[in-house]
Amino acid sequence: MALTIISLIKQVPLPTEMRMGDDGLMDRTKAKSIINIDCQFGLEAGLQLKKQYPDAKLIVCSMGPQSFEVALKTAISMGYDEAYLLSDRKLGGSDTYATGLAIATMLKHLGFSKDSKEPFIVLAGRQTSDGDTAHVPSQVAENLGIPQATFVETVKADGEGNVIAKRIIEGGYQMMKLPMPCTISLTPTGIPPRKPSLVGAIKARSTKVTVFGIDDIGLGTEKIGLGGSPTIVAGVVNIVSERAPIIMSEGHNENTLVNSLVSNFGKGANVLEKKEAAEKKTSEKPEFPLYDNRNGAKGIITWAEVTNGSISRPSIELLTPARHLADQLGNDTKIMTVLIGKNIHSLTQTLFEHGSDEVIVVDDARLEEYLVLPFSSIIAQIIKERKPEIALFAATTAGRELAPRIGVKTGSGVTADCTGLEIGEYVNRKDKVINKPILHSRRPTYGESKLATILGFVYPQISTARAGTFEVPAKVEGRSGIVSEFKPTIDKKEFSVEILKTVRGEGNSVNLFDADIIIAGGRGTTGDGLELIKKLAETLKEKGVKAEWACSRVVVDEGFSEYARQVGQTGKTVRPKVYVGVGISGAIQHIAGMKESEKIIAIDRNPKASIFHFADFGIVGEYQDILPELIERVKGGFTFGIEPSKN
Amino acid sequence: MSNVNSVSTDILIIGGGPSGLATSIHLADILKQKGLNKRILLIEKGSSIGSHILSGAVIKPEVFKELLPDVDFNEIPFNAKVAKDSTVMLSENGSFKLPFHVPYMSNAGNYTASLGQICRYLATKAEEKGVEIYAGFAVDEILYKDGKVTGAKTKDTGIDHHGKQMENFQQGSSIEAKLTIFAEGTRGSLAKQLIQKFDLEKDKNCQIYSLGVKEVWSVPEGNIQPGEVYHTMGYPLNLKEFGGGFVYGLNDNKVAVGLVVGLEYEDPTFDAHDAFQAWKTNPFISKFLKGGKLVEYGAKTLPEGGYYSIPKLYTDNALIVGDSAGLVAMPALKGVHLAITSGMLAAKTAALALATDDYSEKVLAAYELSIKDSLIYKDLYPVRNFRQGFSKGLIVGALHFGTQLITGGAGFCGRLKSHPDKDATKTLAEFKGKPFKERFKDKLEFDKVLTFDKVTDVYFSGVNHDEQQVAHVKINNPESFAAINIKQYGAPCQFFCSSEVYELHTDKNGHQELRIHAENCMHCKTCDIKTPGDGITWSVPNGGNGPEFQNM
Repeated sequence: MALTIISLIKQVPLPTEMRMGDDGLMDRTKAKSIINIDCQFGLEAGLQLKKQYPDAKLIVCSMGPQSFEVALKTAISMGYDEAYLLSDRKLGGSDTYATGLAIATMLKHLGFSKDSKEPFIVLAGRQTSDGDTAHVPSQVAENLGIPQATFVETVKADGEGNVIAKRIIEGGYQMMKLPMPCTISLTPTGIPPRKPSLVGAIKARSTKVTVFGIDDIGLGTEKIGLGGSPTIVAGVVNIVSERAPIIMSEGHNENTLVNSLVSNFGKGANVLEKKEAAEKKTSEKPEFPLYDNRNGAKGIITWAEVTNGSISRPSIELLTPARHLADQLGNDTKIMTVLIGKNIHSLTQTLFEHGSDEVIVVDDARLEEYLVLPFSSIIAQIIKERKPEIALFAATTAGRELAPRIGVKTGSGVTADCTGLEIGEYVNRKDKVINKPILHSRRPTYGESKLATILGFVYPQISTARAGTFEVPAKVEGRSGIVSEFKPTIDKKEFSVEILKTVRGEGNSVNLFDADIIIAGGRGTTGDGLELIKKLAETLKEKGVKAEWACSRVVVDEGFSEYARQVGQTGKTVRPKVYVGVGISGAIQHIAGMKESEKIIAIDRNPKASIFHFADFGIVGEYQDILPELIERVKGGFTFGIEPSKN
Repeated sequence: MSNVNSVSTDILIIGGGPSGLATSIHLADILKQKGLNKRILLIEKGSSIGSHILSGAVIKPEVFKELLPDVDFNEIPFNAKVAKDSTVMLSENGSFKLPFHVPYMSNAGNYTASLGQICRYLATKAEEKGVEIYAGFAVDEILYKDGKVTGAKTKDTGIDHHGKQMENFQQGSSIEAKLTIFAEGTRGSLAKQLIQKFDLEKDKNCQIYSLGVKEVWSVPEGNIQPGEVYHTMGYPLNLKEFGGGFVYGLNDNKVAVGLVVGLEYEDPTFDAHDAFQAWKTNPFISKFLKGGKLVEYGAKTLPEGGYYSIPKLYTDNALIVGDSAGLVAMPALKGVHLAITSGMLAAKTAALALATDDYSEKVLAAYELSIKDSLIYKDLYPVRNFRQGFSKGLIVGALHFGTQLITGGAGFCGRLKSHPDKDATKTLAEFKGKPFKERFKDKLEFDKVLTFDKVTDVYFSGVNHDEQQVAHVKINNPESFAAINIKQYGAPCQFFCSSEVYELHTDKNGHQELRIHAENCMHCKTCDIKTPGDGITWSVPNGGNGPEFQNM
């Protein structure tokens, strides 16, 4: 069996580094490009599989300008055999939908499709640092018609033609068995990419990158570029840094460092001078006629994700923007919520009480655990029948792979990880009409430095909403709605992926959401099994402060904590008054879960740890030195400015 | 290629600084003339050519015309031609311009430059001539067969800090070479091994070094003109310490400032970085920086032993060039032109060896002979005793230098010996002078406008090291280190290190331990040179790690 391992990579600008001083950003690496970090993990996953299949051929593919050859050559120097680049001016402006299609078309041209005789595995990064959508792997898989697993940390072959993937989910992980061919996207938490070898670099110099234009692979221009993309970027504004520059503690030992922190904390954090948003461009709005291009599509569909037998919090949060949009649309717009699972009728009431008008139930014993293939097929069937104008998903690990896969089925573009959803209009200068109403999906991009507004022109308009961004809607006791059953047709093939094991912690025993102070420990504090972290939280509690301890994902993985205490993209999103991160380097997944905290204190031995970019106060030092000192201060009455409750 | 992890070449050059690049360029030219087709491989540990290059620099340009005869001289990215050149005597707050040039220190006709820029330019020329340059690879092992050098090997990667192989382990590549040229720069870690193994320092003086710390600033228009050059003597150094400062005006309102300090000083608490900060507060210096902004920081040692400290520069199948060979002319403080010259001479010898397919000492000896015939000899021989003369301080040194000037370099004592810099350091108890912190007690509060603490400066070097690797600085004997270096000397490494790699941590109970932050390392190698007792060994970290100098 000649296995081919295909890695999809993208070259991205090196994320700029923020200076720790007080004069803001310093872009000293401008024009430097790297292989997107997640894609590097995909490359390494391929090299790991090669250990199991020494005869496997490793090929690397990308789509982009000629300059991407540099990244492809780096992959060769790491151990890949062949490199292909899809490069064509006409691809400019492609959104993720068009990109997924173009890449899938290139792979088909190279002989890889669901009907291939020889097995293959497509590896990709979870998402790119300049797009952050995580769509393309799902869209490639759907276009190729093959199974997928996203948010995967490690992959292994089982020796019987299957791939065993460890997929990260909220509060845990799943072991999945996928048949070949399949697509796998890797998170940057697995095995870090290896360094190129000199012999590899020498080989890379003489290796020719095969460059295709769209004509070479038989891709029509109507499907790609700006014209072929179902979404457009209607506007991008800079997000002015949400946090003022950090105040670092100064001192020569733990005593003086903590003194400095206490004193700085008393004086308060740096305040960001909010610059008023630049004056709006008041370009003359032309007198075009209004045009409603919904073509009868009506209503908002949401998907309610079920975990541990109840509706997951982000799916309930989702009903807040859904209600807001329904109100803006008016005209008796309804919220229809899809509920899929086994014995789930009892959950409909929760959905009604939080705002769903109708719950479409698909009850099937085979659907107890979420699986992207049957779920995407079912929801696409419901969408075809109900013709909603908007479909919303929570941007969870499931929602973020489900939405783009459905999008390919319905021809819709998808806007990922939105923090704002509004109904607006679009001045369509080409067709000389004003499209109205239209969904404005706002999402942070470029490493949270810009806020883009994305519009979709194919119905339903699909968006995923970032967990923790919208409030849980107020519960209306006794509110009711319509329950309707849906009987989908599901092909047996949709169950080709098998979940071998699901590990998910109980989510409810600890209430991080109510704590005023959260003391979080990372990899750097596992030396004593988080004893000092727990002790600091305990000491605060003894002082009458609502404090809890929490941790980053690695800590949970290594068995030092239960999942319920995990903060981050696959854990909880928290907003305490004070967040103290200790020994946490500040991976973006963790930052996503804590950056809304009122005050952030970072303690880490590495002065270059990225968590310092997101903190108000910082101490560079060893946690074993700093925490005992801090605990003493708490005993002496320092409670981070939080009034102890008197009871 | 017999092995998947090996590559063979005719010539391997380790290091992409001026000497290695000059070797490759000149050799490619000669081979072309002779119609020989040979492979030249040049490996550089920095992430790109120039990223580990630091020099003042004021450069003597003539040698570039020899190296690149076909190139329009104006194409070479020098900065500004020296327009004004003075030596200034400093006291803490005062200054006094010397009405004459110290002998050998005139810079008329020279150019200020970023040596990193020059190297990047030379690398493009070398590649045009067919030299294969690979940056971002660390060579950490010399390969031998039957006791002779047969090439070198790049470092294994994918190793955790305990030395255990990780899942992404990547074995280093063996490079089999007919002739290996060591061009690693100052205190080359492989050159050091080579010199020891073949006893190449036999009957020579040991090498002695200075540490240079440097900042590049962007300053308001008018602070200094391009090509304005100042060298300072005196403050912050005392009469027992050798060295001085420099201020070089560059184009685009940039200015390079730095302090170079001889490492044979006695005070175990001396801190060159902090002394440099104190130096900047002298009004003569601070006026150039007023209103400006720090752009870059870096540090590097330079070999100053001169003529008598040059080791034997060849052994079977190997040559040493440039700073690794100790080719720096004092007191002019110039090595770039000598590095290039040595590279060109090594290239001539290498071409001879390739033509005869004989790489034995018999053929390679021609290299050392040719140096004696070259400008290297002319620059170094008359000042052969200069630097050693200053080991007893400035006054004795000046007396020696005076007699050397009269006698053509011999002085009245004949050859002066040198002593390893680390042996000059005194214990806390022995040292009778005013300790560094007392000497500069009003100067060590850094305002982050004109003066910077080490950590902040380190940030401006762009330094980066992979977290997962064995620390590349190693305490040779932890037991004696605790007993001698910490107890008796007070851990001088925490002070002499230019980049806050070493931290002596004292806990509440008074227990002291040395913590190593290897990720800050600027690759200056001072710890390898100046640590008393059993010392510290500096070796190369993963390829592509280290500072990210742009214009140093």
